[in-house]
Amino acid sequence: MSDFLKGNFSTQKKVTEDAPATEAEDLQARYKKNALASVGGSMVYVEKTALEWDGDDD
Amino acid sequence: MMTEEPKAGFQALVTDIEDVGKTYYRETLERNATLNKGAIAQAKSIKALPPLEGPKSKRAIIVSAGPSLHRYSLLDQLKTSDFDGSIICVDGSYIKCLKAGIVPDYMLCLDPHPTRIIRWFGDPNFEENSKHDDFFNRQDLDVDFRNNSIRENEKNIEMVNEMAPQTKLLLATVAPENVVARSIEAGFDTYYWNPLVDDPNDEGSMTRMLHGINRLPCMNTGGTVGTAAWVFAKTRLKVPSLAVIGMDLGYHGDTPYEMTQLWHELNLQIEKYEGEIEDFFMPVSFPLNDKPYYTDPTYFWYRRNLLQLMEQAGGITYNCSEGGTLVGPHVECIPFADYLTGR
Repeated sequence: MSDFLKGNFSTQKKVTEDAPATEAEDLQARYKKNALASVGGSMVYVEKTALEWDGDDD
Repeated sequence: MMTEEPKAGFQALVTDIEDVGKTYYRETLERNATLNKGAIAQAKSIKALPPLEGPKSKRAIIVSAGPSLHRYSLLDQLKTSDFDGSIICVDGSYIKCLKAGIVPDYMLCLDPHPTRIIRWFGDPNFEENSKHDDFFNRQDLDVDFRNNSIRENEKNIEMVNEMAPQTKLLLATVAPENVVARSIEAGFDTYYWNPLVDDPNDEGSMTRMLHGINRLPCMNTGGTVGTAAWVFAKTRLKVPSLAVIGMDLGYHGDTPYEMTQLWHELNLQIEKYEGEIEDFFMPVSFPLNDKPYYTDPTYFWYRRNLLQLMEQAGGITYNCSEGGTLVGPHVECIPFADYLTGR
């Protein structure tokens, strides 16, 4: 983008671009998303949680 | 039995699957639970389920949707038996049960996917929802669904409309809107619950957020609807003798790696996780017949979660799938025929 847009002012603070996601990170995200969607009925699961919870005062 | 320890890359990938869940689902869960609030207010809480009596309170079979279900004709065995306990199916095995002449007492539905889950109920928007999605073509759980046609879908709609009132639907509050609408249209006796997705005492807990929307009880799911059915049987029905069928949590040994659901993505990952492709498939020998099976990281994750929940709950679950990877300290693998005749 910086090749096409040229500002006519200077910023007081130095502006840095976020590093783009690497190809490996993209692939990892894609795998994880597909892994969760691949088998019917998928959902979040976190270790060491109870089998059920009915609320604090129910 | 697992014949070897998972390789480092395999373990790393399993951990990654767990980490992504909360971020991936948070927005969907909150949106669906909020959209469904009106329908939920007109329906019942899982707490309102009538207590079981007689033989149905003594024994139960969970019908999951793994390929062993049709490979070993387990539903035919169930249909021709004198089993009079409770039958609990998951959304993916419901129509298969009906086709086999079995009317489940309960059906669990969990997944919030906006266009896929409706297929298990007969999809009024079949053509639109099938566009650009090969999900069912990649499923090994039911060949009927792999080649599902418009005509087949219409037959499913008719069958579900006729049979739905005989089954209690345990529907997660985070179900997609179209499934909620279809459940009402078909006439299911519906009871709602929240998925327990994290520690309610944690700051910003999603579980507490869902409970705050509708005040309904929360149930752990282990990450998949089959495990949610097991938790339901264990914590809500409290049936003393519990068996599972179709709970494969893996692939039959004769399934080529290339046919597994994430083969393509796994190949792309190899470099990052520093392993060979074979490292991502864990061999398992089924103890009843020593037949070979294997898991990929996704099924390994589901399997590990279920075994952890079994450890928490205690007791024994009879695995009558006659194959698959569900083997562990709280699992006794027995032939289905043995369970049906009174174990």
